[in-house]
Amino acid sequence: MIPLAHLGHYLWVLYLVPVLIVIAGIVRTMIVERRRRRDER
Amino acid sequence: MTWLPYAHALVAREDLPIPAWLFAWGASIVLIVSFFALSVGWRRPRFEEARWRPLGAGLSRGITGLPVQALCGAIGVFLLGVAVYAGLRGTEAPDRNFAVTFVFVTAWLGFPLLSVLLGDVFRPFNPWRAIGRLAGLGFTAIAGQGPRHLAYPQRLGRWPAAIGLVAFVWLEVVYGVSGGIVASPDPHTTGVAVLVYSVYALAMMALFGVEQWCRKGEIFSVYFGMFSQLGCFEVRDGRLGRRRPLAAASSWATVPGSIAMVIASIATTSFDGASEGAFKGGIETVFGWLTDIGFDPTLALRTTNTIFLALCFVGVGLVYLIGVRGMRTVHGAPPLAKLRAGFAHTLIPIAFAYLLAHYFSYFVFQEQAQFTYLLSDPLGTTTTDLFGTASGSVDYKLISATDVWYVQVGALVVGHVVGLTLAHDRAVAWWGDYRDASRSQYWMLAVMVAFTCFGLYLLSAANS
Repeated sequence: MIPLAHLGHYLWVLYLVPVLIVIAGIVRTMIVERRRRRDER
Repeated sequence: MTWLPYAHALVAREDLPIPAWLFAWGASIVLIVSFFALSVGWRRPRFEEARWRPLGAGLSRGITGLPVQALCGAIGVFLLGVAVYAGLRGTEAPDRNFAVTFVFVTAWLGFPLLSVLLGDVFRPFNPWRAIGRLAGLGFTAIAGQGPRHLAYPQRLGRWPAAIGLVAFVWLEVVYGVSGGIVASPDPHTTGVAVLVYSVYALAMMALFGVEQWCRKGEIFSVYFGMFSQLGCFEVRDGRLGRRRPLAAASSWATVPGSIAMVIASIATTSFDGASEGAFKGGIETVFGWLTDIGFDPTLALRTTNTIFLALCFVGVGLVYLIGVRGMRTVHGAPPLAKLRAGFAHTLIPIAFAYLLAHYFSYFVFQEQAQFTYLLSDPLGTTTTDLFGTASGSVDYKLISATDVWYVQVGALVVGHVVGLTLAHDRAVAWWGDYRDASRSQYWMLAVMVAFTCFGLYLLSAANS
């Protein structure tokens, strides 16, 4: 028997995924932008 | 076949075509697409000027003229009196007493909706404003000069209203405890609370002036007025006019305390939703700790809920501040304090979306009670039937659970897209270059996606 009885308590993680993707995208863009500006200088 | 012992928390709405969390993903995609569409196509500010234009003089006079104003004020005072009388003299059953539903549902949830659609409609119906103005007229007639008032401290701004909003919601969702669970305040408490607030509001109006207090400190005027900023009708100098929808919101948050007001709106609704689902486990745990150390169960429950309400306030504020701090890192950003106040209005549509999403079904059901048996038998004593509807009942099949869910998702998505649009517009105005503006708005996109996902999580947890 698979112990899934309390799996529902962790469903909130699925709501976090889009937020983390957007934040990761922002951080990545910021790093790329900063690196490009430093190279230009 | 392997049997999977799913526990209570996995119980979900069976009639949804996809899991609730996938709606959060879909809503996030809508926001991201909207963000890029705004970045590409919205290159100059459109909401910095409201462009108010007066409507026809006859129509304007008819609506804002003295007879209509006096009638609206009289209706407001009459309904306030009925609510107080029903609360103090009516049945103690909250669902049968006019006072509780009228104060916490009809007025509290109805006016935000009307304000967005029709403008600041609470202003003419505001019973305390009507009494204050009448008292002012009486004073002038007797003394031969208008009453003198203290200068309102500008630093206070909308803080009294923001603190009052939290106090009102605390009364509604924390104070009312019945049989060890949180319930609506009983009718007697509601009646007393309305009386106490009336005395406080009238005293403040006497001190600072009726209009000044209504603009800054009167909880309901400020709260409903905040939502009216989204709509396209406004009265200026006694004349009704039309303005660009959403545009008035851009100058709303310049007064101190406005950020607290809008954050309190989102936080209080979030707490009300979360206490039924997402926070349930945490609330039970803290409640257990407090009763173990000797707290009386009622006090323990109130203390626990107060802690979680405060946590909601801090959480919503932190998410907003992270977004503002992120914007500050973009080249050409204004000072932090200016950013903090300058983007607070973008949360107004979110506050409205949270309100609509959380209370939609509750409002639809309770209004059936309000306009049938509560109207005919306001005291709930079964001895009166004023309009012949005292035997009416609530039809819980009027809207299905799936329809409610789609309204909730729709409200959250539209509210956040509007918030994103307002934020982008302000960024274009302040940064000048639309590319820098778009870069600054990555952070507001994160804020909006966070609020959308959090909102949908709260709703799905409360519904499961």
